[in-house]
Amino acid sequence: MASTEKSSPAVSDETERLLNRRNFLRSSAAFAGLSALAASLSPLRELHDYSSVEEFMQKYYKEMTPDDMARAIKRIENEVQRQYGIRPHVRDLRPMDGVEFVYCLNLTRCIGCRKCVHACVAENNQSRNPEIQYIRVLKLPHGSMDVDKADHLYNPEAVPEKGFFYMPVQCQQCHNPPCVKVCPVHATWQEKDGITVIDYDWCIGCRYCEAACPYWARRFNFTKPDIPKERLNLNMAYLGNRPRKQGVMEKCHFCVQRTRVGRYPACLEVCPVGARKFGNILDPDSEVSYILREKRIFIQLKEEMGTNPRFFYYFEK
Amino acid sequence: MLTGTWGEPKPQARIPLVDPSFLEQTAWRKSYADLVREKADLSDYDCYTCHEQKNPPPLRYNAEHVLLVPDEHSDIKMGHGTHNRNNLCYNCHNEGNLLTFSTRDGNELKFAESSRLCGSCHGPNFRDWEAGVHGRMNGYWDHQLGDFRRLDCVNCHNPHSPRIPTRKPAPPPHPLRLPLSPEAPAPLALSH
Repeated sequence: MASTEKSSPAVSDETERLLNRRNFLRSSAAFAGLSALAASLSPLRELHDYSSVEEFMQKYYKEMTPDDMARAIKRIENEVQRQYGIRPHVRDLRPMDGVEFVYCLNLTRCIGCRKCVHACVAENNQSRNPEIQYIRVLKLPHGSMDVDKADHLYNPEAVPEKGFFYMPVQCQQCHNPPCVKVCPVHATWQEKDGITVIDYDWCIGCRYCEAACPYWARRFNFTKPDIPKERLNLNMAYLGNRPRKQGVMEKCHFCVQRTRVGRYPACLEVCPVGARKFGNILDPDSEVSYILREKRIFIQLKEEMGTNPRFFYYFEK
Repeated sequence: MLTGTWGEPKPQARIPLVDPSFLEQTAWRKSYADLVREKADLSDYDCYTCHEQKNPPPLRYNAEHVLLVPDEHSDIKMGHGTHNRNNLCYNCHNEGNLLTFSTRDGNELKFAESSRLCGSCHGPNFRDWEAGVHGRMNGYWDHQLGDFRRLDCVNCHNPHSPRIPTRKPAPPPHPLRLPLSPEAPAPLALSH
């Protein structure tokens, strides 16, 4: 023991110099700093997945010339082809003249089968993992319109269940949309046919609109959307169902890729009881005009918010 | 190692893709007009292979005056209206010619015109249906831009038992913070 003490002063001086508190703190701080830097830069590794110079230089939707739009559409088509291996057909569809869309939903008929939810997901290229769905079907006890009592996770053997009715809720396409007012970059706006659209390339992902919406109609892409290649819908629109990227908002847009060429939206075409009705309110012969004229009771959800939805719920006599 | 410390979400169990049957747009029943359009086998609708012309089959009832459906037609469940008030075959089928229907006011209608037969009693619903408001429409809302198709009454309602049967709903949403199955533990310990 004594001999060790005698023979080691030089070594212990050396180790002390290396392992004193100051050096230890200094080196661990440097290590922590480097780690934090590496971690903070790690998102950059994924950057090539969804960003390009062209996209960065792209103009605001309303300021784009037809040439700009053609270039943007080409870029989107290339992007989808690179990611999914299939070339989509992307279009920029503008509102039709003399058309204002209205949706009517018959609460007496709806059986809560959720087919509309999944038809919407399939049509609009929503992420499957994690799930993004534009439509939520609320189950409510008869005689109540209190959405606090609603259940949207019901999963019985068979629907409809006795004593309950079902109310699908999606974007209400308000006349006075609070989501549009709060957007700090004007990435979402109301078009003249009544559809509130989002430019996914302009959205900064601040989620103000999600907070402003009283219907929880807006969804955020927390991760890169995961869509199986074989379920990708190749009929796409710029303001509609083109694949989104991580960090942007999305919501129901009344299937602009269908409705702006005259077709019915996907949720309507799959409804097994015909509870969903869609059309041009400016045309007095349309189905929705007939409903608002002939049917007795219809409600706008959360009417007291002053949002004035274009989505009407009605009942049979 | 570092990605874990940076708060990357833990990978969750994959949500299974929805069964394509829930995306199906075709009606669950076929009308006579559909079968004609598809050039399907219509031998089931040729009543006179079994029945005799000019000799309409008699109807039999039990003690409670409930119609007894013969074994040859055991696939038919009578359930049109409540309290067995509409259990007479000849309310709709034509007693004089089984290959047609007859409305209550005596009009004769072909099998392919069954929706007008329904309309002879269900006036308000028929009016809605003609306006495109009762039942589903498919195709183009703008009739100038493309075709549309209105389903017939019998595409959704079984005429002998018109109430639409209950069905299994499509899967509910999978919330991020709930377990995918009842056996799996919740990702967040909310109890403490």
